[in-house]
Amino acid sequence: MTPDLALEVSGVRAGYDSYDVLMGVSLKVGINERVGLFGPNGHGKTTLLNAISGVIKPRVGNVRFMGDEIAGKSPQAVVDRGLIHVPQANLLFPQMEVMETLELAAFCKRAKPEKSANLDKVLQLFPRLKERRRQQCKTLSGGERQMLSIGVGLMCAPKMLMLDEPTLGLSPKLKDELAVAIGEISQTGIPLLLVEQDISFVLSLADRMYLVDHGEITREVSKGQDVDHEQIMQMYFGEEHA
Amino acid sequence: MMSLDAFSALLVSGLVLGSIYAMMASGLSLVWTTLGIFNFAHGVFMALGAYVAWTVSDAAGLNLWLGFAIAMSVAFMAGLGILIERTVVRPFYGQRDMLLITVMTTLAVMMFLEKGIQMLWGPRLKQLRPIVEGKVSLLGITISAQEAFIIVIAPLVLAALWAFLRWTSTGRGIRAVGQNPDAAKLIGINASAMFAVTFALSAVLAGFTGILLGSLRLLTPGLGAEPLIKAFIIVIFGGMGSLAGTIGAAYIIGLVEAFLITTVGFYWAPSALFIILIAVLLVRPEGLFGRRVA
Ligand SMILES: Nc1ncnc2c1ncn2[C@@H]1O[C@H](COP(=O)(O)OP(=O)(O)OP(=O)(O)O)[C@@H](O)[C@H]1O
Ligand SMILES: [Mg+2]
Repeated sequence: MTPDLALEVSGVRAGYDSYDVLMGVSLKVGINERVGLFGPNGHGKTTLLNAISGVIKPRVGNVRFMGDEIAGKSPQAVVDRGLIHVPQANLLFPQMEVMETLELAAFCKRAKPEKSANLDKVLQLFPRLKERRRQQCKTLSGGERQMLSIGVGLMCAPKMLMLDEPTLGLSPKLKDELAVAIGEISQTGIPLLLVEQDISFVLSLADRMYLVDHGEITREVSKGQDVDHEQIMQMYFGEEHA
Repeated sequence: MMSLDAFSALLVSGLVLGSIYAMMASGLSLVWTTLGIFNFAHGVFMALGAYVAWTVSDAAGLNLWLGFAIAMSVAFMAGLGILIERTVVRPFYGQRDMLLITVMTTLAVMMFLEKGIQMLWGPRLKQLRPIVEGKVSLLGITISAQEAFIIVIAPLVLAALWAFLRWTSTGRGIRAVGQNPDAAKLIGINASAMFAVTFALSAVLAGFTGILLGSLRLLTPGLGAEPLIKAFIIVIFGGMGSLAGTIGAAYIIGLVEAFLITTVGFYWAPSALFIILIAVLLVRPEGLFGRRVA
């Protein structure tokens, strides 16, 4: 039986040291679905991705990926299963060259046989990385680093991608480019969980969206429901900002 | 004016020193860049490698081929490196004071192993047979074939290390963990496994250096103490980080030391070397090859 859900998070509480950031979060991502995660700064979006990818261990709750329980597993075990977390503002490996970084990223057993095919895909998706192949990660521009970061995720042969604020600090033009690239990635059958601060970016890409507030999911918005930018801003910041 | 022969002799002894230092310091530097600690047991690894090879090749009638002894010693050092990393480094990984705690734990290992060598092998002086016997003529002077061998083998070993780090998946994984452990985790790299390989590699490099030196000098439990201090200085002087910087600094310091020995003499050479190094660090605090951070 093939599961119809790629990812299912239920009742997850997690945090750092002795305090909880997530107060029981549940969400679902279907196979072939693109789901957005939107919420103000510091309300636990990154923490949620960390709890899913094994960077931190949930204190309570379940995380199922393609039917398997993965809560509390190591990041390596999660990557081995094909759930890839592309972290926020990833500095990557400062002294490594672009091409070297991409080749390295096919590190797990599952990704090695697909290495050259995936490398072709990444370079086709982001031709700029090809031009910068011998450049060190630390000298890349913000946009190039973001492309490399996503490219690194693709080199892991993902069965699902979680992208944490891929457009952070990018110009509108680059955002559009990236939106196209991310759309193409999901077209190849890779389900997405996309964390974003740019609401129109999420709305343009996602089929469904969750709103995160103080470590909880407070609303779910589907594409059909005509929720616009202003309504969402109102929900978060009150009337005066709308 | 120095005669040509004297200059050649100086060059050769500088290159021998540089080779030994480069192999010692590159292991130390690898552990520093990957795990962020200084391993004070690195020097005694060198002595132990030589003693193990001696036991396999010379002791108790085990008069086996030296190549076999080297292989045994290398395997032993790899195992020991992994064991030491597991027991006295890994428990402290991620702690805020890890650097200081591991200074203590690796110093403890150093003392323990030095005393252990003393106890196991006793006070009788030992020397390894040279890997290659005889003499060769080089640059118009005659040197032992062993010295020539050291000058040739060191760059090969270091090139192999460089190629391993540059081209293999494990080598790249080691560098990735050193540069950004969090990002490395998220592409499925197991940091613990990389640390174990790093420690094993570094212990093997130290042990092999001990074998090379063990036919030029007498084996003592403290054989590696002085090379360890030099290796520390070289890692700092080379800019704390890049392998190329460390290796370059090792050869420069080897040559300067050889020069000082022939000019100010054996007695004052170490002090003079320090004065020169401090003077250089005053001008270039980031080390000889380190990059200035803006
Ligand atoms: N490593 C950490 N140790 C302790 N607290 C942390 C850590 N990382 C995040 N936090 C705290 O957890 C809370 C949630 O942070 P998180 O990074 O999940 O927010 P976010 O929704 O991703 O915000 P942003 O949109 O700014 O990225 C914040 O109060 C933050 O300070
Ligand atoms: Mg975040």
